[in-house]
Amino acid sequence: MERPELEVRNLKVAASGRKILDVSYFDLRKGECLALFGPNGSGKSTFLRIISLLQRPDSGEIYYQGQAVSPENREELRRKIVYLLQKPVFFRGTVHDNLLLGLRFRQVDRAEQQTRLERISGLFNLAPLLGRFPDELSGGERQRVHLARAFILEPEFLYLDEPFNGLDVQFREEIMSDFYRIRKSLGITTILVTHNREEAVNLADRMAVMLSGQIVQAGSLEEISEAPATAEVSRLMGQEALVEGVVEKSDDGLLEIRAHGQSIYAFGKQRKGKRVVLTFRPEEVILAPERPASSVRNWFKVEIKEIRPFERMVLVLMDCGFRLKALVSRTSVEELGLKPGTEIWAGIKATALTTWPGLEEMNSSENENE
Amino acid sequence: MNLKEIIQITWLSLLVSGAAVSLAMLVGLPAAVLLYLKKFPGKRLVVSLVNTGMGLPPVVVGLLVAIMFWRSGPLGFLGMMYTPAAMVIAQFIIALPLVVGLSLTALEQVDPEVLLQARALGANAWQTVRVLFRESRMGQLAAIIAAFGGVISEVGAVMMVGGNLKGYTRVLTTAIVQETRMGNLRGAVYLAVILLTLSFFINLFLTSLQRKGVSRWKGPSWK
Repeated sequence: MERPELEVRNLKVAASGRKILDVSYFDLRKGECLALFGPNGSGKSTFLRIISLLQRPDSGEIYYQGQAVSPENREELRRKIVYLLQKPVFFRGTVHDNLLLGLRFRQVDRAEQQTRLERISGLFNLAPLLGRFPDELSGGERQRVHLARAFILEPEFLYLDEPFNGLDVQFREEIMSDFYRIRKSLGITTILVTHNREEAVNLADRMAVMLSGQIVQAGSLEEISEAPATAEVSRLMGQEALVEGVVEKSDDGLLEIRAHGQSIYAFGKQRKGKRVVLTFRPEEVILAPERPASSVRNWFKVEIKEIRPFERMVLVLMDCGFRLKALVSRTSVEELGLKPGTEIWAGIKATALTTWPGLEEMNSSENENE
Repeated sequence: MNLKEIIQITWLSLLVSGAAVSLAMLVGLPAAVLLYLKKFPGKRLVVSLVNTGMGLPPVVVGLLVAIMFWRSGPLGFLGMMYTPAAMVIAQFIIALPLVVGLSLTALEQVDPEVLLQARALGANAWQTVRVLFRESRMGQLAAIIAAFGGVISEVGAVMMVGGNLKGYTRVLTTAIVQETRMGNLRGAVYLAVILLTLSFFINLFLTSLQRKGVSRWKGPSWK
């Protein structure tokens, strides 16, 4: 197999006795876009700073294109990489000056600067902004300039820290599509830090999940969605925790779980008497005015607590002794006349529920491993 | 006091204070950058010393320099006592903590993310320092204004190490003292007006540079 463009081994960083990063292995392949996915505070930004060679780890090895990073080649390698911070910070001067700054750092000659400037302003549609100053730009424009000043450098590696954060939906989609198109056309090896599933799905070829400073899973989006390594990964991939209960019956993988006075059916390997946590995707929940005759095993009579828009859909929050969420279309909300306070039936197939060891079981198995 | 003498005194004032502040910038600005960027044991102590130095009484500085350059002092062999060079050294010592302290404060105002982003866009160490100064330019000019204002109006130290020798080490401040002592208040007032005017125009010039700095958020490009 071809050697990865970037390989990281046994990377460790600690601060005041607390482990911040502990990455045993990470790789990045030529031309791919990898989504580094994880909640806030999981160490993603520290990881990016280290692989951008801006911060030294306590220990560990980093290889770029098969070459171990050393004090001798550090500066040279650093210029192959561009890392964009989450917050777009600008330097004194116009958009034009800000775009050229990185090229000037690299002492690219003037003619080449001009060629690249024209190309990038064309790609990002920046021509009307060149003479303006960063504080005169809208949020979306700032973000576009921020991205453009990375692409203008034509780096071999591009590391972006949540570049689409805080933008309104319309701008986000525009900039995301610019990003996708331009990245593809230039073939830059990219890491995209995000905690937004939609971004990962739309833009990345592969995904790595970071939790508490560790890469807990890496693979294709399908692999991670279908077989998340831990309950936390599953939750990050959009699964919601439903409820914790005790297995009452186990019949060839079909479990009957007792929780809050209700019986819930799900598939799993847990034995009778064990505590389990059930997770589900809100889009798998079916809502009906009456309990219909169907193959769906789990039906709960629920009271609607709240209805709120979520991206292009509507999130319905319900209660039936435990909390339940459904993601439905706006039309469904209108047709079913859903509003807070009404009682309806919520169904979820046994196969749509995932079972995880209960919290106590999980802690005890972790202790066994230690 | 004739016109020629006044011009000579004014010129020496400018020369001594200008040289002292230039030297203080030459030493003080890099020192401020090092203090800002480097972590080392005792850094806090050094910063406290610098801050204390910003309020150093000129007379004490004059005394220290005089002790050093006195004929029997450790540097007495240089024969620099009562020369313009000794005055420059005394004013340099007064200006240095002002330049370091205020420049450091200005550097600390720069958003650390700006520096990180500069490095992440490929700036080497030297280019990063240039970004740092560019971004803190207004504060840096304030440091220079304060230092120059401090030394040009100072009398104690230059009097002690320069000796107020007519035609050789007499500057505006010491001349004002001299004229007042001799009862020539009119002459003293003339000199005071010259000193104030000089001070005003130099500050006006530096402030205009600083104001330009404000609008240079929108200003000419990084070269």
